[in-house]
Amino acid sequence: MMTEPMIAGLWTDTVSFFGVHAVAVVLLKIAVVLFALLGLVSYTVLAERRISAFIQDRLGPNRVGWFGLLQPVADSFKFLLKENVMPAHVNRIYYVLAPCIALAPALLTFIVIPFGNTLAGEPMVIANLNVGVLWMFSIASLGVYGIVLGGWASNSKYPFLGGIRSSAQMISYEISMGLSLIPVFMHVGSLNLTEIVNAQSHRWLFLHPNLFLAFLIFMISSFAETNRLPFDLPESEQELVGGYHTEYGSMKFALFFLAEYANMITASALMVTLFFGGWQVPFALPESLSHPVTWLAPFVFQPVGFVYILSFFLKMLLFLGVFIWIRWTLPRFRYDQLMNLGWKVFLPMALANVFVMGIWMALSV
Amino acid sequence: MNYTSLFGYLLGEVVLTAAAFVILIADVMCHRKDDVGARNQRMAWWTLTGLFLAAVVYAIQFAQGNANFADGTLVINPLNLFFKEVILVITAITVFFSMEEPVSKHVGEYYAMILFAAIGMAFLVTSENLLMIFVSIELLSLSLYALVGFQKQILRSAEGAMKYFAFGAVSAAFLLFGLSYIYGATNSLSLPAIAETFKGDPLMARSPVLLIGILFTLVGFGFKIAVVPFHLWAPDAYEGAAAPVAGFVASGSKVASFVALTKFLLLGVAPAAGAATISFPFTPHFTPGWAPVIALMAFISMVWGNLAAITQTNLKRLLAYSSVAHAGYILVALFGAKAWGQTAIYFYIIVYALTNLGAFGVVTALANKVGGDDIRCFAGVWRRAPGLTVLMMIFMLSLAGIPPLAGFFGKFYLFAAGLAADQMQLGYLWLVITAILMSAVSFYYYLQVLRVFYVNPASRGGPISICPCQRWPMTVIALIIFLIGWYPTALLDWIQGFLQRV
Amino acid sequence: MNLLFYIFSGLMLLCAALVVANRHPVTSAMLLILVFFFMAGLFVLLEAFFLAVIQVLVYAGAVMVLFLFVMMLLDIRSSQIRRQNAPAMLAGLSVGFAFWVEFWLILRHSALPVGAPMNFDAGIRPIGKLLFSEFVLPFEITSLLLLAALVGVVLLSQKETR
Repeated sequence: MMTEPMIAGLWTDTVSFFGVHAVAVVLLKIAVVLFALLGLVSYTVLAERRISAFIQDRLGPNRVGWFGLLQPVADSFKFLLKENVMPAHVNRIYYVLAPCIALAPALLTFIVIPFGNTLAGEPMVIANLNVGVLWMFSIASLGVYGIVLGGWASNSKYPFLGGIRSSAQMISYEISMGLSLIPVFMHVGSLNLTEIVNAQSHRWLFLHPNLFLAFLIFMISSFAETNRLPFDLPESEQELVGGYHTEYGSMKFALFFLAEYANMITASALMVTLFFGGWQVPFALPESLSHPVTWLAPFVFQPVGFVYILSFFLKMLLFLGVFIWIRWTLPRFRYDQLMNLGWKVFLPMALANVFVMGIWMALSV
Repeated sequence: MNYTSLFGYLLGEVVLTAAAFVILIADVMCHRKDDVGARNQRMAWWTLTGLFLAAVVYAIQFAQGNANFADGTLVINPLNLFFKEVILVITAITVFFSMEEPVSKHVGEYYAMILFAAIGMAFLVTSENLLMIFVSIELLSLSLYALVGFQKQILRSAEGAMKYFAFGAVSAAFLLFGLSYIYGATNSLSLPAIAETFKGDPLMARSPVLLIGILFTLVGFGFKIAVVPFHLWAPDAYEGAAAPVAGFVASGSKVASFVALTKFLLLGVAPAAGAATISFPFTPHFTPGWAPVIALMAFISMVWGNLAAITQTNLKRLLAYSSVAHAGYILVALFGAKAWGQTAIYFYIIVYALTNLGAFGVVTALANKVGGDDIRCFAGVWRRAPGLTVLMMIFMLSLAGIPPLAGFFGKFYLFAAGLAADQMQLGYLWLVITAILMSAVSFYYYLQVLRVFYVNPASRGGPISICPCQRWPMTVIALIIFLIGWYPTALLDWIQGFLQRV
Repeated sequence: MNLLFYIFSGLMLLCAALVVANRHPVTSAMLLILVFFFMAGLFVLLEAFFLAVIQVLVYAGAVMVLFLFVMMLLDIRSSQIRRQNAPAMLAGLSVGFAFWVEFWLILRHSALPVGAPMNFDAGIRPIGKLLFSEFVLPFEITSLLLLAALVGVVLLSQKETR
């Protein structure tokens, strides 16, 4: 029986376990990160459209606001105000559930990424888990349910094919993706992302030859994991008319869309964190930035904290740019080529990389 | 113990694994275009080479003395090595049987699976650790499921494999659940350590959690050794599988599982036996433990296995039910004093496995040439293949337990061990009497088979030529059965000697 | 923390029961995923974070996706789902009930053995060390087991071309 005192007990438990202050700070961090993430998503969409227009020698959306900067706002209103259509032949529960299942993991994965050093004494990471990277993998692996269920619940040919393709594709590439990171863990000796970033204070990890190979495998696999070109077979417009989200409209479609871009951002953030020093800056910063500033009492912070966050942000934007650039440059793979690449090239390569890394470490001890 | 010495102790299994890999790769890389029959023979020889090398390794290990790695995950002693050799022999004979005609066109996979199963059996007999027992049972079972389903163009094969798999999956869940309870109750995984906990805690033998654990574990083992009521897969799996595979399932898997079960009960949880005695005049005395469960399973298996075998019209199904009955006989000896019971079980399981393998060999050699494995197809085979029929007679009479064949002495020791269990009261006499009565019943269907072979009017057709790869192993088996029948003490002394050196 | 244990295990049992009771395979699969989640929650309560994450990663993230994959390919329509066989259901329920009563009686009459709480760090490092020292053999055999399963599955599911 759940009685009143027991619930109160749970609450005091939680508070005393984490501390009231800590709870408030965590909630604040969650709110800021969530808003930043969603805002970034909508502007990534705009960036995608503008860059693709640039690559194809077009103009792109430039009417709403200055250079089209208010376009995302207009888009979101459009999505919100459109009629919420539900086709008659769908499996209703899963049809509605699928977009939610797709979006939730995409947002949840970000909580373990350290997006800055410290600010006002608070580490700039929502949850500093010891199993950080594994957490990301385990939650990210749930994203596939959204796509598979969406494809299946639509009860229609093309979405179904898209769902089937994506489940096969995501499971295949998850393996080489996970294996490619093992050399990183061997080098750093931890799965904790904060520790991985701290280990890069002198040398970013991609400079290590083994880890550079790991980075390449990881990056290409993450293209497949996020269903981006050249591996966007689950939604290839020309073959599957949009794939798993063909039957979706208005806000439900928008949720899928948000999930895809949120995944992209998380993948970029992860690449920055694992291989490119995270929030670290590759040059020495002026001493004056480390002087504490107290004008926002009761918080005392060092301006350098903002520099680190900015550094992380800029690096992440760079990778987002790469994502977009590649999408509009490379043609799509065929399905068998995709599978061959995953199972016959990347998987053995990642395994061999683990082995070589082991030998390297044994020799360099 | 470091990795190097561990590798040394594992060398036999490593050789087998390497052989399996070589076969898998060589078949794909080098022999894809060859004729299936030629490929089959080449792969069989590769397998035999691997088995032979492993046998040599084990033989060398005999001289090296005992070893125990990490809580009994790997126990090297003469008894275990002896059983590993037995398993290699059984596997080799299976390979010989499959040599003449490929079971399917996937030759490499077939022999690799046989080797995987052999590795599972080898680990099963060599470990005294719950975790190892589970993992090796799974390795063994998974390989056997695939082997049973190998003839993909035959519907019965798929049916047998499916039933085998479904039963196996459920019983594996029971087994793991039971093992986890035993671990929870005793806080140790190795069988000797579990036995130790009984000494420290006198109430342990009555601990309900432990008893539930044992009960569930027995469900898992009951499936592996095919005793009633966990036998339902056996007839269909035996019937569906290719004859050599069925022989392999009925012999190798049985040997390994019985050795593991015996160790588990007599080495690990012996004090939790309880009792299932019925003393004269009819005063039943049942106390909680594994004894009532085993006694019940033995009783039903003997009765049901033998009665059901009578009505079978298919030789493989008949052998399946007879194997259910034999599993019942073997369980009777578990009540014996530790040394006696173990000796009797080990003696009988070797004899039984060889005999059964021989019987399935006869089915392998003849079934395709007489047009099926229904019993009536074998009518009058005596005229077409006299040598083989004599061999079949030896196997059948040994299974029935007619002196002076090995089967008789095997049963004698089993029942003697059962009687010796509760000497004062003769509490297990009821099981022994059932066993003897049911053995008498079994004469009927074994002799019925022989009557078809010898007496029934002959089917048309000339003499059947038997491939030497089948004739010789069967002859050797028959000879062994005969020799053990004449000098049963030779094998008995061996086993007792090994048991003393454990 | 005690309350959380009851919440997690209660929901887990509920979902597990629904997995069996539900007639729709996809719903059953989704409920099974929830079961794995609550189990991961129990691992978290035991401070075995690594196991919790692996539980989600392997079972919810990989195994169940393949289950769903197969179910969707089979495309079982609700009309084709086998009618419930009343005698079989009754028999199954009574056996299950008997089992439950037995368990309940046994556990009621016995104190569960309370060993000394094991001071075990369920982190990645100790687990890795154990896997490569004490349990190296079961670990390696598991790899063989997976290979055997892989070969068997590929072989059995392959279409015969001849």
